Amino acid sequence: MNRFWKWTSGILAFLFVTAFIGLSIMAGSPKDAYGMVRYALPHMHRGTLKVGSDAPDARLVALDGVSRFHIRERTGARPLVLVFGSFT
Amino acid sequence: MGDVVQIYQDYKDRADFLTVYVREAHPTDEWQMKSNLKDDVCYAQPKTLQQRVIIANDFTKRFKFPLPFGIDDMSNAANDAYAAWPERIYIIDESGHIAYRGGIGPFNYKPEEARGWLAARYGAVKHEAPKSPPAATPTATAPAASPSPAPSAPAK
Repeated sequence: MNRFWKWTSGILAFLFVTAFIGLSIMAGSPKDAYGMVRYALPHMHRGTLKVGSDAPDARLVALDGVSRFHIRERTGARPLVLVFGSFT
Repeated sequence: MGDVVQIYQDYKDRADFLTVYVREAHPTDEWQMKSNLKDDVCYAQPKTLQQRVIIANDFTKRFKFPLPFGIDDMSNAANDAYAAWPERIYIIDESGHIAYRGGIGPFNYKPEEARGWLAARYGAVKHEAPKSPPAATPTATAPAASPSPAPSAPAK
């Protein structure tokens, strides 16, 4: 039994290290691998929307920081291309 | 981002556009990247709506960003509804349904797919040879989501 756990933990540690090295290469550096796991993955979701789904509405703030409008106010007349992103 | 601006210039007479600013992808207090330092784009993750408004204005001013712009408020309602972070593109058709759902950035963020959807409907806009008359061949790569006739002339 003791030997079983030794092997199991050894293999798990090996897999963990391999995964981290792989992620580091993919992301650019160990710091980036950490950043990806800690800050990116928790916020990345596929979502439930599909082609044909009713487009959800949300209230947005204009660049003046005061006025508000809804996404769905902008739909209806023509197709609406929605581009989500941030500065960094 | 330049791709999106070009698509906007090419199709703004045919379609509406809206950019939605969501939570920062690589703020200084989270996963900052070397490229952020190089490009001098260094901001902490906004904790207030006012901070988001300031960054969004910095962005639009620096790039003279021409697309209509909205800011997701601190409830992140738009981001949550569209699973948008860090960057993503959707097209909503006139009936209010999702006509194109882009992949999650950065790896699956593909503005050319959105361009393909618009090109299938309104005709391709060529940029390679601006002097010669552009070939009027709508691409057939995008989903034929709309039964409306696609004009054969380019959008410009």
